[in-house]
Amino acid sequence: MNSISLHHTLPRVFRDRTDIHSDIWQQDVTFERGHLYLIEAASGTGKSSLCSYLIGYRDDYLGTMTFDGHDIREFCTYDWTQLRQRSLSIVFQELRVFPELTAWENVQVKNQLTQFKSDAEIAQWFEVLGIADKRTTKLGHLSYGQQQRVALMRALCQPFDFLLADEPVSHLDSDNSRVMAEVMMAEAQRQGAGVIITSIGHHMDLPYEKILKL
Amino acid sequence: MSINISSRQPHPSITGGVGGGSSSLVWRLLRRHISIGQLVGFFFANLLGMLIVLLSMQFYEDVVPAFSGDDGIIKNTYLIVSKRISAVTTLRGEAQPFTQEDIADFEAQRFTRQVGTFTASQFKVYASLSMGGIGVGTDMFFESVPDAFVDGQWPEGQRFDGDAFPTEVPIILPRSYLTIYNFGFAQSQSLPKVSEGVVSMVQMDIRLRGEGGAERLLKGRVVGFSNRLNTVLVPAAFMQRANAELAPNASAAPTRLIVEVKNPTDDAIAAYIQSKGYELENDTLEAGRVTYFLKVVAAIIMAVGLLISALSFYILMLSIFLLVQKNAEKLQNLLLIGYSPSRVSRPYQLLTVGMNALVLLLAFALLSWIRGLYLDRLWQMFPALSEGSISMTILLGVALFVVVSFFNIVAIRRKINSLTPRRKSLKGGLYHRING
Repeated sequence: MNSISLHHTLPRVFRDRTDIHSDIWQQDVTFERGHLYLIEAASGTGKSSLCSYLIGYRDDYLGTMTFDGHDIREFCTYDWTQLRQRSLSIVFQELRVFPELTAWENVQVKNQLTQFKSDAEIAQWFEVLGIADKRTTKLGHLSYGQQQRVALMRALCQPFDFLLADEPVSHLDSDNSRVMAEVMMAEAQRQGAGVIITSIGHHMDLPYEKILKL
Repeated sequence: MSINISSRQPHPSITGGVGGGSSSLVWRLLRRHISIGQLVGFFFANLLGMLIVLLSMQFYEDVVPAFSGDDGIIKNTYLIVSKRISAVTTLRGEAQPFTQEDIADFEAQRFTRQVGTFTASQFKVYASLSMGGIGVGTDMFFESVPDAFVDGQWPEGQRFDGDAFPTEVPIILPRSYLTIYNFGFAQSQSLPKVSEGVVSMVQMDIRLRGEGGAERLLKGRVVGFSNRLNTVLVPAAFMQRANAELAPNASAAPTRLIVEVKNPTDDAIAAYIQSKGYELENDTLEAGRVTYFLKVVAAIIMAVGLLISALSFYILMLSIFLLVQKNAEKLQNLLLIGYSPSRVSRPYQLLTVGMNALVLLLAFALLSWIRGLYLDRLWQMFPALSEGSISMTILLGVALFVVVSFFNIVAIRRKINSLTPRRKSLKGGLYHRING
């Protein structure tokens, strides 16, 4: 997949609003593979909705969204499953991790599906991200910031053309945020993927090629 | 539509399938909130329902042969049918013969295997017996039925179509005649009882007298006894010859039919006989009524079993739906990180199918135990009874298992699918157009 395009899209709940001044909603926007984007959003501007649309979780929007020119409303369940395994990875704002599994198992849930990373590579990430000692701790017992790092590792355990990171560092200090950005960008560049990061203020310090306001 | 070429090949190992280790992690996630109580409730309810269904089926299979079929207690597949004799017909002195249409109609019934007619002698018969100087004689009659209906053997090789009139005729008597003689007449008159063997050794002198004083003399010998046919029977070929020679002008319309039926327990027979106003000489249809009663009872019990099975299925579905609802968030998360609906459905599908299989096996085990108990009793009552086949019951059990499991699998999959937005029912494959 090389491009994600939005054509005059708007969450259906915003249908009657006249005060939309956005770089994305009701515009023609295209995200290209291999590029780095930042979407800055204020609360209530539909950031989570946008991510839900792109991952195929919701489709209550007006206009069209396309992957490589194909309307994503046409995708069936099988297509979405394949996309989520092989082309499109996401770090959810709400993490969507499993508190009853350990940190290590949370990453393995994904990696055992894709068989994409070796245990050594994952262990290396745990080291770099500073939570190697938490590998066998139940995720529910970790801080939100630690859980965010686990969620990122999980998202990297698959091939992807685009990585969508929804406020990935909202609960991290700048040092940890920088390390996380390095791990993320290293993997994205290795895969030649496009990266779309959203933020409501505090964001990773990265050389964004395009900053869009939602 | 232009198709973009994949910019990157999928990781080779992904196409190889799902890693084995993820099963246990997924199962650990999805087994949460499983209610042991509900599943135990389902298990026993389903076991009870399945057992009742299978038991009613097997009991029917085991017991019904006792009342029908060749090995059964009721072996008689031959019906002897006559038209009802009323006071009016007696007064008018008419026999009530069967017409060709009556016979054809009988033959057309689906329970009929073959129909034969009784042919009565159209001439007078006088039989005499002399033993040690004492002679006894009596007027009598002959009847014949097609050879296929005779429950005995005519002597081999005897032919009745030669130039000369036969000099000897074999006779089959009803076994009941001998019984009446031995236990009724002989006993009261202080006469000796005779065995079948003794009777067969006796030769009778028979005189036939037909139209215009035509007369034939011949010997008669009893060659067998019949349980089925309550008449003095001679071979059909002999009867034809004798009637032709001695009563060429008499018409021999049959007044009695012998009908071989496929299954005497078929309730359609009784209905047909009733509707035509016929009479049966030997009421073999009693067995039909017993079988019908057994059928009805077995059907009612089976219906109760099926109802319990259906209710247990309902319990299981409620339980699983509740489980899916409680684990909805986890299921959604798994779907959103790339698990397919079929993959996350599988643990619950395996759980239900596994339970169904366990129920089936346990039901079979219990069935064979219970069957052992009642078969012992049955054999005490009907020693000749051969046990019924269990293949139908196994087939029914397996069919029930397959049907219920199929509905379980589909229902679970639909429930899981309902966790994600409804998709247009397009065939998959757009993904491959994007990614080669």
